[in-house]
Amino acid sequence: MGVFVRWLQRTFGMAKKTCPVEQECLELLRLMLDEQATEEESKYVHEHIDKCYRCYENYDLENTIREAVKNKVKNLKVPPELVTEIKNKIDL
Amino acid sequence: MGKAKNGYSDLEKRDIFNNEFMVHIDALYNFAFKLTLDEDEAKDLLQDTCMKAFRFIDSFEKGTNAKAWLFRILKNNFINDYRKKSKTPGMVDYQEVETYYNSEDGESPVEITTDLRSETIKGMLGDEITNALNSMDVDFRTVIILCDLEGFKYEEMAKILDIPIGTVRSRLHRARNILKEKLATYAASMGYK
Repeated sequence: MGVFVRWLQRTFGMAKKTCPVEQECLELLRLMLDEQATEEESKYVHEHIDKCYRCYENYDLENTIREAVKNKVKNLKVPPELVTEIKNKIDL
Repeated sequence: MGKAKNGYSDLEKRDIFNNEFMVHIDALYNFAFKLTLDEDEAKDLLQDTCMKAFRFIDSFEKGTNAKAWLFRILKNNFINDYRKKSKTPGMVDYQEVETYYNSEDGESPVEITTDLRSETIKGMLGDEITNALNSMDVDFRTVIILCDLEGFKYEEMAKILDIPIGTVRSRLHRARNILKEKLATYAASMGYK
């Protein structure tokens, strides 16, 4: 249902550019994406973004930025010689 | 750091260090590097952290959250010994910003960007995302690293950073706004559509 409504909104230019509760919704959807929202808060966000294209866009962008940070930021491996040095200092 | 309460034997100390601490060594090194943005400083910071962790190992409860415990030591080490060296006069005083942000009339000073699209982010390279993250003030960068890269929950972050959960939440909210702005600015400057 939500996907269809969003498609209609986007295709026929019915998507609203603003939302009166955008800031509140943004805070809640961030909590939800961080898995810190209550069940009630998550339910509210899901129901809201199903009918509000503006907040759906925010949700999509927030999710994409998180994924990009998680998957694209380079992770380093600690140099093995540093591990050896640490172990030697601790006398392991 | 907590009281030395466990009185582990030398064998137990080595066992905890090897089995509970060393599994987090890469995560710790990454955290150190992302805080200092300098390879040599990151190595020193990691080494100091490990030394301190071993020295105070009696205050660690075996089998509990070693990762959060170690991250807390590293963060404190960074603040006490490394941050002073690199602190520049132009740095943002986050406490001041937070006080403003948390005040009743304190609307977020950073406007939510409207022209950044998720497709743009998907097309960005890792280095571009990394640069945007690294250009943030360290206190805001830290909460993004802890939450998005290391997967800590707000409660764990509060303990690592010694701040209330409400502050974690508001700092993270602001950090996400700043990161979004930086990505939008970068995308615009690079001609991303």
